[in-house]
Amino acid sequence: MNQYKTHLMVGIISIAAAVILIIVAGKQFRQMHHDEPLFPSQFLTRTIPLSEFNKNLQDTPGDATIYCFEGNEPGGNVLIVGGTHPNEAAGFITAYLIIENLRVQQGTVYVLPRANHSAFTHNDPQEGHPQFFTIVGKTGERRFRYGSRNTNQVDQWPDPEIYLHFPSNQKLAGNETRNLNRAYPGKINGTLTERVAYAIVNFINTEHIDLAFDLHEAAPEYPVVNAIVSAGRSQELASEANIELQFEDLYYSIEPSPYNFHGLSHREWADFTGTYPILLETANPMQGRLRGKSAASLIMTGLDPMYLKAAKLGVLKVPYDNAGIPLNLRVGRHVAAIAKIVDVFSRNYPEHAIIVSGLPTHDDLITLGLGRYF
Amino acid sequence: MVGSFILFAMLFKLPIGISLIIASIAGAFVAGEGVPIRHLVEGSFLYFDPILIIATAMIFMEVIRRSGALGSISRFIIVRMHRRPFWLLFFLTLFIMFPGMITGLSTATVLTTGAIAAPALMLLGIPHVTVAAMIAMSAILGMIAPPINVPAMIIGGGVDMPYIGFELPLMFATFPLAISFNLALGYKYVRNIQIDKMIPKLDTDYFEIYGWRLFLPLLVVIVLMLGVRIFPAVFPNLGVSLIFIIGAIIGLFCGKKMNFWHVSHSAIQEALPVIGILLGIGMFIQIMTLTGVRGLLVIGSLSLPSFWRYVSIAVMVPLFGAVSAYGSASVLGVPFLLAFLGKNEIIVGSAISLIAGLGDLMPPTALAGIFAAQVVKEKNYFKVLKVTLIPAVITALWGILMILSANFLAKFM
Repeated sequence: MNQYKTHLMVGIISIAAAVILIIVAGKQFRQMHHDEPLFPSQFLTRTIPLSEFNKNLQDTPGDATIYCFEGNEPGGNVLIVGGTHPNEAAGFITAYLIIENLRVQQGTVYVLPRANHSAFTHNDPQEGHPQFFTIVGKTGERRFRYGSRNTNQVDQWPDPEIYLHFPSNQKLAGNETRNLNRAYPGKINGTLTERVAYAIVNFINTEHIDLAFDLHEAAPEYPVVNAIVSAGRSQELASEANIELQFEDLYYSIEPSPYNFHGLSHREWADFTGTYPILLETANPMQGRLRGKSAASLIMTGLDPMYLKAAKLGVLKVPYDNAGIPLNLRVGRHVAAIAKIVDVFSRNYPEHAIIVSGLPTHDDLITLGLGRYF
Repeated sequence: MVGSFILFAMLFKLPIGISLIIASIAGAFVAGEGVPIRHLVEGSFLYFDPILIIATAMIFMEVIRRSGALGSISRFIIVRMHRRPFWLLFFLTLFIMFPGMITGLSTATVLTTGAIAAPALMLLGIPHVTVAAMIAMSAILGMIAPPINVPAMIIGGGVDMPYIGFELPLMFATFPLAISFNLALGYKYVRNIQIDKMIPKLDTDYFEIYGWRLFLPLLVVIVLMLGVRIFPAVFPNLGVSLIFIIGAIIGLFCGKKMNFWHVSHSAIQEALPVIGILLGIGMFIQIMTLTGVRGLLVIGSLSLPSFWRYVSIAVMVPLFGAVSAYGSASVLGVPFLLAFLGKNEIIVGSAISLIAGLGDLMPPTALAGIFAAQVVKEKNYFKVLKVTLIPAVITALWGILMILSANFLAKFM
C-alpha cells in the first residue's frame, strides 16, 4: 500500500510538472506564430496569396503573401524569394528591406519574403537558437523572428526515415522532407513543403518571371558561401554581374548548380520554368557548427570568438576577423548583387528591362546601418 | 555540466535521464541563462520520433515473443542449419543486418531480426552476453550498410553532396567487419552442435499449431517497411512507429493468446529508462549548444594536429554519438569531412558515418547495446559493451584506414 501511495505521489508530481512545462513552454512557442508587421513602401501595387498558385495551400500554414510592385512602364518580371530558410536572417531581412523601400519604374518586382511560412514558427531543436532578434528602426525597436531551416513539424509530421525527392526519387535524410530548398519542383497535393514548392514554381510559370532570386545564408565553413549560384542559362548573367561587382570591391564566387543534386531552387527552377534562376549566399556564423554562445546578438554582429579561432585554423571559406560579419553587411551584399544582376539583365534584354529605385547600396548599409531602412 | 551529471548519476545514484536534466539546468544557470524552459523542451523534442519508434518496437517485440513466433523461428533455424555452422553465422549476420540496411535504424534492427536471432544463438550455446554483442554490432553495421545510411546522408547533406555512389564504399566498410566479428565471437561455440541434446531445450513448434499466420505480423512489418522503399509511389509511408503497432495488433490474433494491456505495460516499462535518457540527452545538447560548449568541442577537435585529428575522429565522433549517431554525424561529421577536402569525399563520408555509428554503443544512451542486452534479458548492459569493445576499436580503425587511403580506394569503387 505504501509503495502504491509513493507511486501515486510520483505520478501526480510528474503530471503537475509536465503541465507547468506545457503551459510555460507552450506560451513561448506560440509567440512565434504571429507574423511581424511589415510596412510596404507606398509603391506597392497589390498583394497576392501564394495559394492562388496551388489551391491546396489555402488556409494552411504554408500560405504566404507575395508583394507586387508594378512600374508605370512595361518591362520584365523579377521574383525575389526570402525566408526559404528562416534561420538565414539576411535572406528574409533583405526581402523585408526591399518591400519597405522599393519603387519600380519599369517592369514588375514580386517579393515573397516568407517562402516557407511555417518554418518561421519554430526553431531547430538542439541548435539553441534565439526566437527573436531586434533591429532599431526609424520608429524604434522592431522584433523579428529567427526561425528554422525546415517546415514546422506541427504542420508536417512525421518525417519519413528517408526522403524520396519527387520526381527524381533522389534519397536524402528524412528531415529534408521539410526543407523547401530540397522540395522543388514540388507536388500539387504533396506534403505541405512540396505544395509550397509547387506553388512557387507555378507562380514563376504563370507570371512569366524572367529573373528569380532565392536569398540564403550559410555557415562560414561551408564551401558554397559568399556565392552566386546559377544554373544553365543564368550562368553567363551571373559571371557578367560578378565581374562588375568586383569593380565595386564586392567579391563573390560563381558556383554552378550541381546537375545531379535535385530539389534545389536553382536546379529545378532552371529545369521546370523559363526563368533565369539565381541563388545568393552570405556567411552567417549563427548557423555554423563551430559557433560559441548562441546569443541573439550574434545574428546582428556576426562576431563569435570560436569563429575567430576557426579563422586562425584556416577552416573558414570567408575572410573573418574582429569585425565579424554583421547583418547589415550581409544584407548589403544581397542587395548589391540583386541590383547588379537586375541591371545586367536589363541591359542584355532591354525588352524585359526592370528599373527600380529606393534601395540602399552596399556602402549605404555599411555606413548608415540597417535601421535607417526599417 | 559534466561534473553535475557525474555527481547526480554516480554519487546520488539518480536515473541517468534525471541526472542529465539536472546537469542541463545547472549548465544553463551557470551560463547566465536561468532555467530556460523553452530550450529544455525544444532540445528533448528532437527525440520525439525515436521515442515513439522505441516504444512501439518494444511492444511489437513483446507481442511476437509471447505469441510463440520468436521461439518457433529459433527452432527452425537451429534444426535446419546446425550442420553448417559457418553458413549459419554468415546468413544470420546478414539476416540481422537487413532491417538496418533498409531503415537506417539500429534500434529497429535489434528489436526485430536481433530479437528473432537471439534465442537461436543462445540455444546454440553462445553466452547470452556474447549474443547481445553480436546483435549490437550487426545492428550498427546494418544501419551503416547500404542502401540506406542516414549518417552518411546527413554528412553529405551538410556539404550538398548527393547520396550517390556510396554503395560500394559502404559495403566495403560494413560487410567484412560484420561477418568477421560474428564468426570470431560465435564460431567456436557452434562448431560442434549436438542437435539431439538441444531439441528438448527448444521452444514448442507453434508453427504446427498456428501455421503460417504465426509469422504474419513479422511479414506485415517487413512488407510495409520494404514496400515504401521499393515502391514509394504505391505504398503509403506509414512511418516505422505505426508499422510496428500494426504488426503488434496483428500479432495478437496470430499465435498464443495474450493480454495486450499487460504486454504493452511491460514493454513500455522496459523502454522507460531509455526514453528518459533520450529526453535528458536532448536537453543536454540544447544547453551545450546554447552556452557554446558544443562549438568549443568542435573547435577543439579541429585544432588538433593532423595525426591527432585522426585520433580525434576515432574518439570524439563515437563519444559525441552518445547523444545519437545522427547528431554526431551532423555536428562533427560535417566539419571533419570539410577538414579532409581533397580526399575522396564519398569514401571519407562513408568512413566517418561508420565511426559515427559506433555512437550507438556509447553510454549513457548506447541504444544498440541497451536493447541488445534487453533482448537477451541481461540487466547490466555494460557487460555487453565490454564484449563489443574490441570490435568497436577495430571498426574505428577500419574507418580511419578508409580515410587515410580514400583516394587509393576510390580507384576501385
